[in-house]
Amino acid sequence: MDANLAHLVLLASGHLDPRVVALRELREIPMSTSPAIATVRLVKRLPSGGDMLTILDEVDVEIRQGESVAIVGPSGSGKSTLLGLMAGLDRPTSGEVWLAGRRIDRMSEDELSLVRREHVGFVFQSFQLLGNLTALENVLVPLELAGHGGARDRARSLLSEVGLAERTHHYPSQLSGGEQQRVALARAFATEPAILFADEPTGNLDGTTGAAILALIADLRARRGTTLVLVTHDREIAGSMDRRIALRGGRIEASS
Amino acid sequence: MRVADGFAFALRESRGARGRLFFFAVSLALGVAAITGVAALVGAIDDGIRGKARELLGADVAVASRRAIPDELDALIAAMPGARRTDVLDLSTMARSESSGKSRLVELAGAGSGYPLFGSVELDPPSSVDALGPDRAAVGPELLRDLGIGIGDRLAIGDAQFEIAAVVRDEPGRLGAAFQAGPRVFVTLEGLARTGLTGFGSRIRYRALLQAPAGFAAHELDAFARRLEDELPGAVYLKVETASESQPTIRRSLERVERYLALAALLSLVLGGVGVAQIVRAWVASRTQAVAVLRAIGFRPREVLFLFALHVAILAFLASLVGAIAGTFLPFALPAIAPDLLPKDFELAWEPWAIVRGALLGVAIALAFAIPPLTAVWQVSPARVLRSDAEPLPPPRMVSIGAGAFIAIGILLSAWAQARSFPLAAAFTGGLGVAALLLGLGARGLTFLAAWTPRERLPAWLVHGVAALARPGAGTRGAVVALGLAVLAVTSVALVERRLVERLRSDLPADAPSVFLLDVQPDQWSGVESLLARHGARNIRAVPVVTARLSAVDGVDVTQLSAEKGGDDLERPRWVLTREQRITWGELSADNRIVDGALWSDPSRAEVSLEEGFARDLGAKVGSVLSFDVQGIAVQLVVSSIRTVEWDSFAINFFLVAEPGALDDAPHALLGAARIDAESEGPFQDELARTLSNVTPIRVRTILEKVAEVLQKLSLGVRLLGGFTIAVGLAILAGVAATAAMHRGREVALLKALGVRRVTIAGLFATEFALFGFVAGFVGGTAAAVIAWQFLGRVTDLGAVFTWWAPLAAGAGTAVLSAACGLLASARALAARPIETLRG
Repeated sequence: MDANLAHLVLLASGHLDPRVVALRELREIPMSTSPAIATVRLVKRLPSGGDMLTILDEVDVEIRQGESVAIVGPSGSGKSTLLGLMAGLDRPTSGEVWLAGRRIDRMSEDELSLVRREHVGFVFQSFQLLGNLTALENVLVPLELAGHGGARDRARSLLSEVGLAERTHHYPSQLSGGEQQRVALARAFATEPAILFADEPTGNLDGTTGAAILALIADLRARRGTTLVLVTHDREIAGSMDRRIALRGGRIEASS
Repeated sequence: MRVADGFAFALRESRGARGRLFFFAVSLALGVAAITGVAALVGAIDDGIRGKARELLGADVAVASRRAIPDELDALIAAMPGARRTDVLDLSTMARSESSGKSRLVELAGAGSGYPLFGSVELDPPSSVDALGPDRAAVGPELLRDLGIGIGDRLAIGDAQFEIAAVVRDEPGRLGAAFQAGPRVFVTLEGLARTGLTGFGSRIRYRALLQAPAGFAAHELDAFARRLEDELPGAVYLKVETASESQPTIRRSLERVERYLALAALLSLVLGGVGVAQIVRAWVASRTQAVAVLRAIGFRPREVLFLFALHVAILAFLASLVGAIAGTFLPFALPAIAPDLLPKDFELAWEPWAIVRGALLGVAIALAFAIPPLTAVWQVSPARVLRSDAEPLPPPRMVSIGAGAFIAIGILLSAWAQARSFPLAAAFTGGLGVAALLLGLGARGLTFLAAWTPRERLPAWLVHGVAALARPGAGTRGAVVALGLAVLAVTSVALVERRLVERLRSDLPADAPSVFLLDVQPDQWSGVESLLARHGARNIRAVPVVTARLSAVDGVDVTQLSAEKGGDDLERPRWVLTREQRITWGELSADNRIVDGALWSDPSRAEVSLEEGFARDLGAKVGSVLSFDVQGIAVQLVVSSIRTVEWDSFAINFFLVAEPGALDDAPHALLGAARIDAESEGPFQDELARTLSNVTPIRVRTILEKVAEVLQKLSLGVRLLGGFTIAVGLAILAGVAATAAMHRGREVALLKALGVRRVTIAGLFATEFALFGFVAGFVGGTAAAVIAWQFLGRVTDLGAVFTWWAPLAAGAGTAVLSAACGLLASARALAARPIETLRG
């Protein structure tokens, strides 16, 4: 289906925020040909005790649509910073960041929010669930934000997909670490994002649970063709990705 | 996001809100209860007045005058077949007991047949005023007490004697807060005629009360009243009222009182808003990570603000509803608090609309104070989901500017809704802002001092408290400012009232008269003078008084002039035209200063000197010609001078002073004045009542005491509202204390683990909260003393006195209350076992 016609259908059915469509029309680059994510001479510096600390130093990255990429490197190499910049969570000191065919490094906070809302899902090491909400309600948040009709049914379906059909009314404090991460996955995939950013998703889990989570990510991803950018210090996890980008001292050491 | 989903999210956010909800609710509910209580009370009284309009007026239509009602009224009444009329004559005069020899100023009413037309005069034993006949009287219970007499004893009034037949328990139209010169005494019109007090120079208020025939509609009554105003001779000097107007004078006074009380109640609510701001600020700070997650998912900052504001609005609505419902029951508590404020059978109704008003104001103030701290969501970077040290984002410029303005606009609009006057609302808002600023600076200064105080020299129990005082924390400073504002409000009102009552009750200025003598006939003066001298009176003087009606100013009839001014008795300019004018002649006292013209400049014409304000209200100036009706004789006086008068000297002064010789032939009475020692006033009054019963003494000390009583009665409402304000301030402090205690739970656990006893830890907490309370009370008390000093000196001219002990007393009192509140709020943290806290 033609992209524009698809947008019209989604608009008419109430499944797409018309403001996002307008935003896309402002900066139209055909999605099918552009990389999912690209950075050009990306620099990030932070103040540190009166000096400026260079976290990333002229990093160029290109990630194709549907690709799975692991960002690896020792602690303090800038992995999470790079992920945050690519996802539009942070702003670079200089350089360009392209996400879903749009240059995002000069966008306002409102525009960045709308881009993340439509294109991006997140999974974090510390799960980052909202403690006052049940599992079902946590998954509902992005769906209600996007104005999805039938949000509740979709949320139940996603929780069932991650194996938590019986735990929808439990609060995060009543779930194990693995179960919380499953809820986070369901939330991340709720709006069918084009790109999933995962920051050490198994960092707080034991080996068996972590493997189960990775398998779930792979399964969800495979069915949807989601681009995956995953930060990890685990070589084995990195080895299971399509490509690895190794960072050291804020620079790309290798990309394979 | 759909609004319904936003509501659902906001409701879900309430799940973690129990602790927050309690202090939020208390802060807001108290203020809303005060607002609603005032609105409900005033509304209930207003409705009661409307419902009892006929009883309060005593008629469907009433015609009142200081002279006899024109006979033409009968002819006009004849046009209303079936109408009934009765008359009542009221005057203040002396009543004396022959048996005890004591006398008392009373409010004498001579009532015609059938009085009252509506309602009833409740007599004990049960009877009617008609049944009194010409020889008997019914009196108020306080007269029996003051004169030491009872039913069956005899009472002398003027030239007549009456047997006391009954006690007056209640009568229609008496509102307890109104000023009354003395106890009520009822006689019939025939009885009044026997007293000889109705002759020339009497100060009788004549009232003709009319009951319309059955079936007469309100608009027909209004039309009849207008016809009376058009056709009765001298109608401009008459006051025609209908029951459908429902006591406009009283209700206008009620409206003025309501504005004042409504603003005092609004102060409680504004302080509640400060509490809301404290709680919201702490809540947003605790939800920073959740905000970062929402931002990461794709919420824009304003969408997060909307959700959180919706959550606040829901909490505010629930808290306001509780407060508003509680407040609507205040009118029903009034009979217990102030039993003699309203007539016995006055019905107070429930005012449900007051709940809506209170709830809306509560939500409005809560949002006004919550929005500024909520704008902190703009500063939460979504990068916090990856690293907790992500630098905050700068908020948009308009958000920063708008946040500060939001509170001011919220308070201004709420004050406008309460006072229904924009200038008053602006003054309230501005004054509050200045007070808050000064208190904030004062609190900041003291915490700065605490930070620099060398602690090694302090006793151990004080070190902890001083350290807490110096600890940076906007929450604590906000609580100090809020509590300080409450102390300021209550203390400043108390200091002003105290000074007013003190002055009212203190002895008069050294050479001021202590007694005025009314209705002295010229041939009686020598006797009065001798009597005064026998009782040690000093500064005895008498001035002639001619009563007259102003008929024109510079040729323009008073009827036309008063139609231009409009209004009624409370509107001064119309009143000064149509009142009974009192003109004197003779030398001007030292209290008078000529500011325009010269005293007597033209011997070819009869002249008059006018007081400055009186001249302005008349629209007269030097050269104006004033036409008078002096007991039926037309007299013209030319204004020769305008003067200012020092009224608070208590000396005899007049608006109108005629040139000596201009009114020599006019019928007149004398107004006497003298200074008598307080202990001689009673015996003088008793002997005067026995020998010269038509002369009415007005004892200034007694009047001032009465005014002081009424002032204290009226200030009851302000003191009650002050209690609400203090309670809100303490609730805020308790909220801060509870939050601090929760955060310092590990500190408490460690101290306990090290062997420090709970009572010692409680003592440290108590010292800390007492210090906070002392700072709030001291700063608030100081500001109150300054405000009272300036107000008394500049506005009331009662003599500026700075009450040095007020800051210390306020500080000490607030310290005790704060320590108690803070300990209560920290009870849970103090009771927790160390192992539970240290385990985490």
